Amino acid sequence: MKQDSTGRHSQRVWRGVTATCATVLSLSICAGTVVDSFRTDIDKFLGTQSTKIVTEDADPATVYTYTSDYSTTTELLDAIEDLGERISEEGSVLLKNNGALPLTQEETQKLSLLGFSSYHPVMGGIMGSSLTANTGTDADTVDMVQAFQAKGFAINPTLQQIYTSLESTYTTEVESWGGTTSYLNITAPSIGSVFSSKEPSQAAMEQASAGWKDTLNDYNVMIVTIARAGSENANYTPGTAGVDPTQNLNQTDPLGLSDDERDLIQAAVDAKAANGGKVIVILNNSSAMEVQEIQDNEGVDAILQVGLPGGYGFYGVADILSGAANPSGRLPDTYAVDNENSPAAQNYGDLEWTNANPETSINSELVEAENIYIGYKYYETRYMDTVLGQGNASSTVGSTTGSAWNYDDEVTYPFGYGLSYTTFTQSLDSLTVDKEAKTVTAEVTVTNTGDVAGKDVVQLYVSLPYTDYDKEHAVEKAGVQLLDYGKTELLEPGASETVTLVADMQDMTSWDSSADNAVGTKGTYMLDAGDYYFAIGTDAHDAAMNVLAAQGQQTAGDAAKVQTWNLAESDFTTFAHSKNGTAVENQLEDMDLNYWMPDTVTYLTRSDWEGTWPKTYENLTATDEMLDVMDNDNYQITANGDPSSVTFGADNGLTLADLKGVTDITDERWTLLMDQIKLEDCLIRTGFGGTSTKAIESIMSPETIQNDGPNGIYSYPLGQYANTDTSSGDPCAVDPSDPNLTYKMGVMPNETVIGSTFSKQLAAEYGRVVGNYSLWSNLTIHWGCGTNLHRLPYNARNHEYYSEDAVLTAGQGAAYVAAAKEYGCIEAPKHLAFNDTEVNRTGVAVFMTEQQARENELRGVQAIIEDAGALGVMTAYNRVGCFTSNSHTGLMINILRGEWGFQGLMSEDFIQDANYTALKEAVINGITMSCNTGDSTMEAVSEKWPYWTVENVSQDATLLAALKQDMLWQNYALANSNAMDGLSSTSRLVSVRTWYDNALTGAQIAFALLTLAGAAMYIRAAKRKKS
Amino acid sequence: MKKSAGFPLTALSAVLAIVGLVFYFINCNTNYFIADGVNPGVIGCTVAAIVVEVLLIAVAQKGQKTWMDILPVAAPVLLMVGFVLFLVSRINAIAAIMTFTNSAENMADLQSCIISLACLLIGCVVAVFASFFDITKEA
Repeated sequence: MKQDSTGRHSQRVWRGVTATCATVLSLSICAGTVVDSFRTDIDKFLGTQSTKIVTEDADPATVYTYTSDYSTTTELLDAIEDLGERISEEGSVLLKNNGALPLTQEETQKLSLLGFSSYHPVMGGIMGSSLTANTGTDADTVDMVQAFQAKGFAINPTLQQIYTSLESTYTTEVESWGGTTSYLNITAPSIGSVFSSKEPSQAAMEQASAGWKDTLNDYNVMIVTIARAGSENANYTPGTAGVDPTQNLNQTDPLGLSDDERDLIQAAVDAKAANGGKVIVILNNSSAMEVQEIQDNEGVDAILQVGLPGGYGFYGVADILSGAANPSGRLPDTYAVDNENSPAAQNYGDLEWTNANPETSINSELVEAENIYIGYKYYETRYMDTVLGQGNASSTVGSTTGSAWNYDDEVTYPFGYGLSYTTFTQSLDSLTVDKEAKTVTAEVTVTNTGDVAGKDVVQLYVSLPYTDYDKEHAVEKAGVQLLDYGKTELLEPGASETVTLVADMQDMTSWDSSADNAVGTKGTYMLDAGDYYFAIGTDAHDAAMNVLAAQGQQTAGDAAKVQTWNLAESDFTTFAHSKNGTAVENQLEDMDLNYWMPDTVTYLTRSDWEGTWPKTYENLTATDEMLDVMDNDNYQITANGDPSSVTFGADNGLTLADLKGVTDITDERWTLLMDQIKLEDCLIRTGFGGTSTKAIESIMSPETIQNDGPNGIYSYPLGQYANTDTSSGDPCAVDPSDPNLTYKMGVMPNETVIGSTFSKQLAAEYGRVVGNYSLWSNLTIHWGCGTNLHRLPYNARNHEYYSEDAVLTAGQGAAYVAAAKEYGCIEAPKHLAFNDTEVNRTGVAVFMTEQQARENELRGVQAIIEDAGALGVMTAYNRVGCFTSNSHTGLMINILRGEWGFQGLMSEDFIQDANYTALKEAVINGITMSCNTGDSTMEAVSEKWPYWTVENVSQDATLLAALKQDMLWQNYALANSNAMDGLSSTSRLVSVRTWYDNALTGAQIAFALLTLAGAAMYIRAAKRKKS
Repeated sequence: MKKSAGFPLTALSAVLAIVGLVFYFINCNTNYFIADGVNPGVIGCTVAAIVVEVLLIAVAQKGQKTWMDILPVAAPVLLMVGFVLFLVSRINAIAAIMTFTNSAENMADLQSCIISLACLLIGCVVAVFASFFDITKEA
C-alpha cells in the first residue's frame, strides 16, 4: 500500500511538472505570435533590427546625398542649445514694463523666486511635445533656477528651501493603471476633469517659515511665476465649470487666477512697498490666460510671457531679464479679459449626440458657429463695427460687463502685441498690389528711436471691403487680417532698416460658396470691388485703429500707416485656379451642419452681431443619413473596372534607389518601379504603417522611422538608429561610445513660442537644426509641424500649434518645413484638419462653413504644401463633418492632392480602432498608411480588417489603382528624403534574427523537451505503480 | 470521499476563470471596446478550461482515474492560451488608453479588461499548482 501511495505521489509530481512545462510551452508558442505581431514596436523598444538593407561595393560619395552642417554630435547639440536659447529670447513676450526691466547687474543678485512654478516650471507638454531632460551630454537641459544660476543670478535661498519643504502640497498625482505618476509642475486637466490650483497659500508659506517675507528685503527683485500647462489629450473647461469646486478660491476660469495666486502676487507687491524692490510676473503658459487684473495691478512692474520654453529657453528668459537680450516677441493670440465670452466659446466641450454610438465612434459634435471670427478676427472686427456703428456691434451679447460691448473691457492684450526695451518708428514707404503676380509688396522702414539695440516686428494687415454683395451671399470679412510679417535685424540705436514684405495675395481672398466658378459649379476665391486698406501696426488693434483713421473715423490710429488700393469690379476669376492650375470649387459643403440638418445653425455675421450670436448647439440628434456616413463604412469593395489593367509584381529590374532624388513624379520610371510592387505589399503597408514605413522588398524601399514632436525629434535617442559603422563612409556615422547618443531632442520651446518670434528666419533655423538632427539620428519622418489653430485658449493642446492666425501659422510652418527638407527630413504638418479640441477627439464631428475652413485652418497649411513642398501630412482624429478626416474626399483628394498638389506620404493619427481607421476609405482618399502596427503578413492585416484580402481587393480596379497610387506617393516621398542615404541600386533586404528570436526559440525547444520528459516520467511512474 | 488540496485549488481556478470570462464579456461591451467584438478563441479556451476543471472535480468524486490526469495538464494550458489571445487583442488599446486616449471613461472601460486578464492569469497559475494534487484522497 505504501509503495502504491508513493507511486501515485510520483505520478502527481510528474503530472504537475508536465502541466507546468506545457503551460510555459504554450506561453512561449503564443509569445512567438505576439512577437511577430508587435515586432516593429519590440524592435523600437529594444533597439534591435529584424531586417536591414545591405549595400555593398557602393561609393560613399554617391550614396550619401545629404550633408550635415556639423562634423560632430557636439556641434549638433551646441547648435540646438544655442537655438533654443535664441528662440526664447525672441519668442518671450514682454507684456508690461514700467521701466523695471531690464534688471541691473546688481539686481540680478537679488532675485526672490515666488510661486512653485519658478522651481518646477512647465517646460514642455505634459503629454505631447514633452520635455526630454538630458544629462551627461554636451547639451544638458536646464530649468529656470539652473538657467538663472548659470547666467550668474543670485537667488533667495530661503525661498528655495520653503518651496522644497512644500513640495507635497503642490504635487499632482495622476492615477493610471499600473501606478501613480507624480508631477511637481502644474498639469492640465484630463478630459472631463477640472483645474485645481496648486499654488501654496500664504498660510501654508507662513507655516513653512514664519519669517519668509523678511528675506524679501535682501532679495527684493521678486519674480512671481504663474503657470498653466499644455498637454495632448487634456482640456480646460470654460468658466467655473472648469475649476475645482472644492477649493473655493474665487477662480472663475481655469485660465484665470486663483486666490492663492492673487495673494502671492499681492504679497510681493506689499513687500515691494517696504523694500523698494520690483515685482515681475512671469507667465509660463501656452494658452492665453486671463490676466487683466495683473495688468491693472500698479504694484506689478512687469509681465513677461515665456510660453513653455523647453530645455534651454530659460537661458533666453534670463537674458531678457538682465537686458543681455532685448525682447522682440509678439503675442500669437489675443489675450481676452474673459475667454468664455468669445463667440467660439459658445460651442466647446462635450456636446454629445443624443444617438451616440460607441461602436462606430459616433460621440459628439462641434458646431463652429462663430464662422471666421476666431481670435482677433472677432475682437478687432467687432471693435471696428462699434466705431463704424454697424451690425449691432454695441449690443450686450458677448459683453464681459453686461452692458454695451466695449473693446477695452474685452481685450487685455491684442494679437501681435509685445513690448521692447527700446522704441521704434515704422513708416509704410510703399505698397504695390500686383494682381498679375498675385502679390502685395510692402516696404516698411523701421528706425530704432530708443537707446538700446533691438529687433522689431513688421506686421502688415489688410482690411477688405465688406459689401452688400457679401451680406447677401454670406461672405464674411474680418475688419483686419494679417497678410504678412517680418522681423528686422538687430538695430542699433538710431539705425534704420527697410523691411520688404512680399505677401501672397491669395491670403486676402475670400471664399464665396455661392459664386459661379470656372468649372460651372459653385464656390471660388474672390475679391470684392471696393477700397482695400493695407495697414501696418504694432499689433492687430493698432492696425485696426490705423485703418479706421484712414477711413476718417476718430480713433487713436495713424492714417499715414495705411495705403489703399481700389478694385473697380469684383474679381471672381483671378483666384479661380490654384497655383498648380486646378480649378477650385466647393469641396466642404458637407461640413456645414445645415447641409445635413437644414436651418439648424445660424452662423455669426458681422452684419448682425446680436441677431446671429452663436447659440450652443447641443443635444442634437444625427439623422439617418448622417448615421449612414458616420458608421465609417462608405466605400464598398466591388467588382469593377478591369483589375488586370493594374499591374503588380512585374520584373522591371528597378529599385527605389534608382529613383533617388527624382522629383518629377510623372517620370516613366516611377510607373515601371511601382509595377514591380506586389499587391500584398500594398495591402500590408497601407494597413500597418505605425511607427515606421517598413521595408518593401519588391522595390527595395527602406524602413523609415517616424517621430513625433513639434518641440523636436524626441521619440528615440539620437543613437538608437544612428550609423555606428564609422567605416561606412557615412559623414554622419557616430562612435558607439559617443556620450551624446543618449540625447533626446524634445528640448525646444513649444510652437506657441516659435509663433511668438514672428520670425520666419528663426523658424527656418529650427528646420535646419531638425534636418541636421534627422541626418545624424537616421530619423527621417517627423510629425513636428502642428498647424491646427488656437480656436480657443481652452484647448490644452495649443502648445503644439503656433497661433490663432492662419497666416502666422503658415509663415512659420512653411519656413520650418522647407528648411528641414533641405536635409532630406520629411517634416510633416499635422493634423489635417480641424483638430480643434481634445474632447472626444476620436469621433467628434466638426462642422463649419467652407469659408471658415478655407480662410482659417486650411490657409494655415496651404502654403506649407504649395510653397514649402511638404512631403508628409498627418490626418486628424476628428471627423470633417460626418466623415472621418481620412475619408473626406473633398479635403484629402480634391483640396490637398488636387488644388494644393500634395504628392507625399500621409499617415492617420494614432487611431487603433479598426472601424474608425476606415482603411479602405482612407486608401481611396490618398492616405498612404494607417497608424496601426502588426506582423507583415496578409493573415495579420486581414484579421484586423476582414475585408482587406487579396481575393476581395483584387476584383476592385478602382481600389487597386488607389493602392498603387498611395504607394507611389509614399515611396516618392522616401526617394526624395534622407531615408535613401547609403542606398544604391545594389542594396538588398536582409532578414536578421534578433537575440529575442533566438531566446524565444530556445525557450520553446527547452520547454517542449521538458514537457515530453515530464510526460515520459509520468508514464514511467504510472507503469511502476501498476506493476 | 475525502477532498485533497487539488479540490479547492481546481475549484478556485475554475471560479477565477468564470470571473475572468464574465469580465471579458463586460469588457467587450464597454464603449471603448465594443467595436472590437468578441474573440472566439478567448471564449473557447476559457470555457474549455472551465469545463475541464468542472469535469475533473465531478469525475473525481467517483475516484481518481488515471485517464483524468490529462485534465490538470489541459486546464492551465487552455487558460494560458485564452489569456494570451485576450492580451494580444488588447495590447494596442491598452497602449492607446495609457497614452493618447487616456480619460477617466476609457480607464474605467480598461478596468474590466485588467480584471479579466488578472483572473485568467491567476487562474492559470492556480491550475498549475492544482496539477500537483489530486482532487480526492485515496481511501
